[in-house]
Amino acid sequence: MRILLWAEFQKLRRSNIIMFTIFATILIAVIVLVSGITGQLAINSAGWYMTITQVWATMFVLPAVIALLGSYMICREEQDDTLKSLQLIPVNEIKLTVAKMTVALLFSILIYLLLFLITFLTEAALHFSALSMAVFSDFLKMYLLEGIGVFFAVSPIIALVPYLKKSYWLALVLAEVYSFSGLFMSMSNALKTFYPITAIFGVSGYYETTIQSRGCSLGILVLCGCISALLLKNLNHRQKE
Amino acid sequence: MLRLVRIEFCKLRRKNSVWVMLVSAFVMPFFAFLYFGYLGQTNIDPRLFYKWSAFGYTSFIILPFILGLFGTMLMHDENRYDMLKQLWIVPVSKMGYFFSKFFVVLAYSICFMFINAFATVLFGVIPNYVVVEWSSILFLLERCFEIAVLTAIAILPILAVSASQKGYIFPICITLLYVFAGFLITPVNTWLHPISCIMVIIARNGAVPGMTLPQSSVPLELLSICVWGIASVLFANLRLSKRK
Repeated sequence: MRILLWAEFQKLRRSNIIMFTIFATILIAVIVLVSGITGQLAINSAGWYMTITQVWATMFVLPAVIALLGSYMICREEQDDTLKSLQLIPVNEIKLTVAKMTVALLFSILIYLLLFLITFLTEAALHFSALSMAVFSDFLKMYLLEGIGVFFAVSPIIALVPYLKKSYWLALVLAEVYSFSGLFMSMSNALKTFYPITAIFGVSGYYETTIQSRGCSLGILVLCGCISALLLKNLNHRQKE
Repeated sequence: MLRLVRIEFCKLRRKNSVWVMLVSAFVMPFFAFLYFGYLGQTNIDPRLFYKWSAFGYTSFIILPFILGLFGTMLMHDENRYDMLKQLWIVPVSKMGYFFSKFFVVLAYSICFMFINAFATVLFGVIPNYVVVEWSSILFLLERCFEIAVLTAIAILPILAVSASQKGYIFPICITLLYVFAGFLITPVNTWLHPISCIMVIIARNGAVPGMTLPQSSVPLELLSICVWGIASVLFANLRLSKRK
């Protein structure tokens, strides 16, 4: 497994996707900052920037970016015609898929940590006196949990991409509509708890909810993970047939 | 040019995903239907219902994203199958190639918005949320057409970026950020971003209730869209002429 993970990282190093993802993350932070500074919100209220950036990023951009990254990794073996060579070695396909998903999870966490770093440093530059260790740890926990949560929420879409074959573009549309629908789902308390994208906020602590609701949200995200595991397992069986 | 556009449409006929993407035109009318159902309102001002289903998130987020993705798809397929070299040998002019893609995007945009208008009427009339009035339906169709044409022009920067790249990852990241920037910049300054400019143009003369925008000068917004469009065409020309 360690070799497979190492190989996945080596493959990603040669690809520009990581640079583009980092570029997208930085630009999200810049866009929110520009809109916040022009509207005076980022300057007048401490904590506004760190709170709003994670919400907008999760509702509009990052789920689609993570779905793109994950589906790119899963599909590239078939697209680049390297799957046959891997099968000849032989590489265990289930282990290969698990390695790819693990890398996608790690990148999801790293993207959110990068976003946290940018927003925290900006917040420190704007309102240094308002920051404390408690604020730091609260937001760090929130961003970290969101990184993990977004991966689990979009994992069924990542797992669906190999089934779509040439129509993998549809997965992106699906990921964007799926994340953006969170805006409407957050209007109802029940939907907010059970819709995967808004469930992320319940788990991370952005929404003030009861322990039961948090448990339900966590259950939904775990269910998403199980669905993607099932889809990927079926895919491996199908390829063998 | 007409032959190029026709060939583009022939290529599209083989892609089922392009047609499936049109289903996303139903997303906002469906959410508007759920939202007003949740509030339990009937006899709503048609313009308010249209704002939810066609003039709001559809033109802010869904349509620009779909068009950006569609444009990237058109450009990427040519690169993936290494068709560009053959096109240059024919020869097809580089700007002819770029504009043929643009016209396909424009036609797709018009189709998308008309489907959205149809879905809006469907989801508004069947549950009796809005009363059928030809004047309001004509207003919806007119604004949908405007949104379609203007958004296709607003998406020219994405098309230019796609034309300059071999891969699809970067144009898609740019599409996401472009749409996101348009959404966040609109309440602050509308003439900076083409998508924000569209909002001012369709909400002119207070036609869309509850849409408060910082600027309201339609000529300035049109000028901004033109500047972005011209800059994109020049960029695409520069990048395509350097490509072999």
